[in-house]
Amino acid sequence: MKRRDEVLVGLMLIFTVVVGIAGTVWLARGGLSSGYPMYAVFPWGAGLKNGQPVLLAGVNIGFVSKVELIPNGTLLVTLAVNDEYQIPDSTTASVEPNGIFGDQLIALSPRLSVTTYMAKRDTIPTGEGAATTGEVLSKADSVAAEVQTIVTALRTEFVTDGGISEIRKSIAEWSALTAQLGTIAAEQSRELTTTQQQLRATLAAVDASVVDSTLRAFRTSSANLAQLTGDLEKTRAQVSSILYKVDSGPGTAAKVLNDPAVYARVDSLLMRLDALVADVKANPRRYINLRVF
Amino acid sequence: MILEATWRAMHGAARNTLTSVGVYGYYLRDIVRSGREIDTWPRETIRQMRVIGVESVILTIIVAAFLGGVTAFQTRFQLFPGVQVSAVGLISRQSIVLELGPLLTALVLTGRVGARMTAEIGTMRVTEQIDALETLAYDPVAFLSLPRVLAALVMLPALTMLANTAALVSAWLTLILATDVRTIDYVEGLRIAFTPFQVVYSLIKATCFGGAIAFVCSYQGYIAKAGAEGVGQATAKAVVITSVSILTLDAIVAAVFAPFVQA
Repeated sequence: MKRRDEVLVGLMLIFTVVVGIAGTVWLARGGLSSGYPMYAVFPWGAGLKNGQPVLLAGVNIGFVSKVELIPNGTLLVTLAVNDEYQIPDSTTASVEPNGIFGDQLIALSPRLSVTTYMAKRDTIPTGEGAATTGEVLSKADSVAAEVQTIVTALRTEFVTDGGISEIRKSIAEWSALTAQLGTIAAEQSRELTTTQQQLRATLAAVDASVVDSTLRAFRTSSANLAQLTGDLEKTRAQVSSILYKVDSGPGTAAKVLNDPAVYARVDSLLMRLDALVADVKANPRRYINLRVF
Repeated sequence: MILEATWRAMHGAARNTLTSVGVYGYYLRDIVRSGREIDTWPRETIRQMRVIGVESVILTIIVAAFLGGVTAFQTRFQLFPGVQVSAVGLISRQSIVLELGPLLTALVLTGRVGARMTAEIGTMRVTEQIDALETLAYDPVAFLSLPRVLAALVMLPALTMLANTAALVSAWLTLILATDVRTIDYVEGLRIAFTPFQVVYSLIKATCFGGAIAFVCSYQGYIAKAGAEGVGQATAKAVVITSVSILTLDAIVAAVFAPFVQA
């Protein structure tokens, strides 16, 4: 019985120790065959921890096995890469956010069309990581600040300064104007309809024979007017001939109108007439001696 | 009048507390001294290890399996969109290894092992078997208390290790059978920020809890009053004091070691 107790207790303790050690090693190193190590040096780890995944082109190929702060202020990260995977040359490593709650991963980004591979225990060059949550939040903050500024300006314009009430008032006035225009249009439409009806009635009342006689009379009048025009033309030619003679011919009229000597004699005559009239007014008895008896 | 009564009550409580601490201190001293009785305690220790450890394996695994499954299931369905699924493995591991595994194992063993311990020793006390041992020049502490304390100190960590393993396996099975979490996600989460010290931390807690169970329960049996009622009262008191002690120790260990747990 005693021997049985010892065996049972011994078995249980050995089993427990084996399970504990194996489980711890499996969690910490990924098992006894934990792949091969690769290294990467980062200036900023963003909270990188052991066990976080390593992705090559998005495929999980291992995990972070050690994060070490080296004296020059950078992080030396040891990656445990599964034996079945190789890392192409020119691959770059970066620390990327995994989800939105601050978890991280190592992203290995291979260059396309590369057929050679890095050696085991090599150091992978560091590439540019994605924007961190802090950077994204900073951008969001600046966007929010801009939006706040816009909202404040809109509030000032539309609420504080009465922009909304003015818009409402304008809309109301526009509505009233539209209604008024509608009323006017309806009224005009009615009047136009009436006018059309009256015009149709008038046109229907016009007698075609009267129109014909009117046209005929109008033609006659036109013919008379043409004859009159011809007569007037003749008269104008005659008047032109007379005027030509008056203006430049050798006749008396032409001399009266154009000869300066005639003008001078007429002017002298008028002066003498004036003098005569004045003398007559002054001495009427000299010229008029009226005796009745 | 009221002030005087209050003062008397406080004085009595303080004196009882100090008395309890003092007698627990004497009992601890006796246990340490009884280590010299090398012919007495080793064989009994092996027997107690079987009783405390081997016979509790099935119960511990069953409790841990339910614990792990429920923890993982709840964790999965409390995650809101945007959180990576591997967080289930991380949260399950941290909950089980750091807290629930050692704590629930200790509380379960308090009921199963601690109560039995108090009842056994209390019965021996009330039937004067302990007095008989003293008459035969046996050190009753070396025969009754020290083996139980040593067995509990060794077997509680072992049971806790099994409980942690069973809970994590149960969590994995629950997740892949009942949820959309894949094995690779769960394993990825299990490995995030893991350090071997987390396992050591779990074992430190288990050791403390094991010592508390054996120490308190054996003492309560050792001082049990005569009669069946005395044994019953001692057993109930042992379970209560041990449970509170375990929770207190849990807080103390967390306060001391938690800063070193983070990866």
